[in-house]
Amino acid sequence: MEIDLALIELGIIMLTLAVLGRLAVRVGLPTIPFFLLAGLFFGNGGVIPVEEAQPFIEIGASLGVIFLLFMLGLEYTPQELNDSMKRNVGAGVIDIFLNFVPGVVLGLILEWGVLGAVVLGGVTYISSSGIIAKLLTDLGRLGNRETPLILSLLVIEDLVMAIFLPVVAVVLAGGSAISGAISGTVAAAIVLIVLTTSRKFGGALERLLGHVSNELMLITLLGLATLVAGLAEYIHVSYAIGAFLLGIAISGQIAERAREMLQPLRDSFAALFFVYFGFEVAPSSLVNVAIPALCLAVASALTKFLTGWWSAKRIGLSSKGATRTALTLIPRGEISIVLAGIGVSNGINSDLGPLVVAYVLMLAIGGSTAVRFVK
Amino acid sequence: MEIFETPLPGIGVRYEFDTANGRKIGVLVHRDGRRELLIYCKGDEDSCSETLELQVHESAALVELFGGTKITERLSDLKHDIQGLAIEWVSIRDSSPLAGKSIGDGQIRTRTSASVVAVLRGEVSIPGPGPDFVFSGGDIALVTGTYEGVAAASRLMAG
Repeated sequence: MEIDLALIELGIIMLTLAVLGRLAVRVGLPTIPFFLLAGLFFGNGGVIPVEEAQPFIEIGASLGVIFLLFMLGLEYTPQELNDSMKRNVGAGVIDIFLNFVPGVVLGLILEWGVLGAVVLGGVTYISSSGIIAKLLTDLGRLGNRETPLILSLLVIEDLVMAIFLPVVAVVLAGGSAISGAISGTVAAAIVLIVLTTSRKFGGALERLLGHVSNELMLITLLGLATLVAGLAEYIHVSYAIGAFLLGIAISGQIAERAREMLQPLRDSFAALFFVYFGFEVAPSSLVNVAIPALCLAVASALTKFLTGWWSAKRIGLSSKGATRTALTLIPRGEISIVLAGIGVSNGINSDLGPLVVAYVLMLAIGGSTAVRFVK
Repeated sequence: MEIFETPLPGIGVRYEFDTANGRKIGVLVHRDGRRELLIYCKGDEDSCSETLELQVHESAALVELFGGTKITERLSDLKHDIQGLAIEWVSIRDSSPLAGKSIGDGQIRTRTSASVVAVLRGEVSIPGPGPDFVFSGGDIALVTGTYEGVAAASRLMAG
């Protein structure tokens, strides 16, 4: 690696992201699809392929996944997880049934095997909590009556991922369905234990992590998150899951501080992750997957719409509120890409990467645009 | 008046109530302490016509302009910190059933299990008022006890 060239390339990429990001915000769209496009542009088979900075961006991308999932784990307090489960468990179940279907069906049609189909099901299931929370804030809808319902559904999806991700990761890494089930049970048990006991034992972790000095606390967090992620990868549970479970285990005031500290890091490295994911996809390969991706986008936009509509009507929202709920849930984003990344690195099918890029491009942009049309 | 509290996972807590002239307003307390003032649409109370973000010091200033004190806010923070112990300031309005009655007559502790530990009357503070202390309109009482007890007491005292 030539350090001067690597730095110049990295600088140009970051500045391109900054310009694209500003453009996205200006027209009221999420940044993720634009970062993916930048990745396509600079990546393999792209217009200006990046060479020297590639190794750094690859590691940066892993860190991006670690921070994304670590913060997803930190995002909700055990109390919020409990409340959401209690109040909207029915809607959560419908969400699972309706939205795994499009991905699973397409995976089976494309003959990617059961595992490939299940991964694709996860891709269509998980709405982007990042994009949606930002949309609700930007459109001034945090006060709306449908907002608690939307957020609750995102919380439940987050919980479902806590069990789904470890199972899939282990089975993908060559374990049998049985060892997948075991690791899934273990993950579910960890999540349950963490949720029920974090109030009691949170103090110990808090003392371990907390420090009056922000500098020392940040370094401790980084060290712990990377170590746990690395260990998880070593035992063939994806590093993404290690970071996620650690995030869930941390709660209380320390989680609050951690969120504030890690946000800038997450934002920078997650951007690299989206770029890197785009790197791996040759723009020409998007043509082959355009039709399946479009079908998948339309089908899963419909199933999310139905999920939102049904859940909103169930709690007695007006048709207008139900339409807002339904449209808001459509965007897919970061976690769909993380899932596809786990699938790609385990060699599901060479079309998985391009398909999910095209899919997220369509739904992140289309979904965020659609919510604006209903006031 | 009833204030509805709705937790918003990942964001914070939303409080809202209906005003006497039929409008709904709310306050969204973000987890990092920022507040948002929510003014709901006339006619369609499911969505907001105006949302206004306030930094911590701005909302504190607004509260002061509306006649509260900074002490209230600091104590409301305290409420979250101590497990199982709630502390709340309750205003006694002229219309309150307790205005003109003593603490003993009001049977606050017997009926709600919460206790009045101090009263602010204008600039004067009265720590540890006895059972024969008589409330008057405009007093602000500091009530402590369990969450349920304090909530019941504040309902009783506010009327």
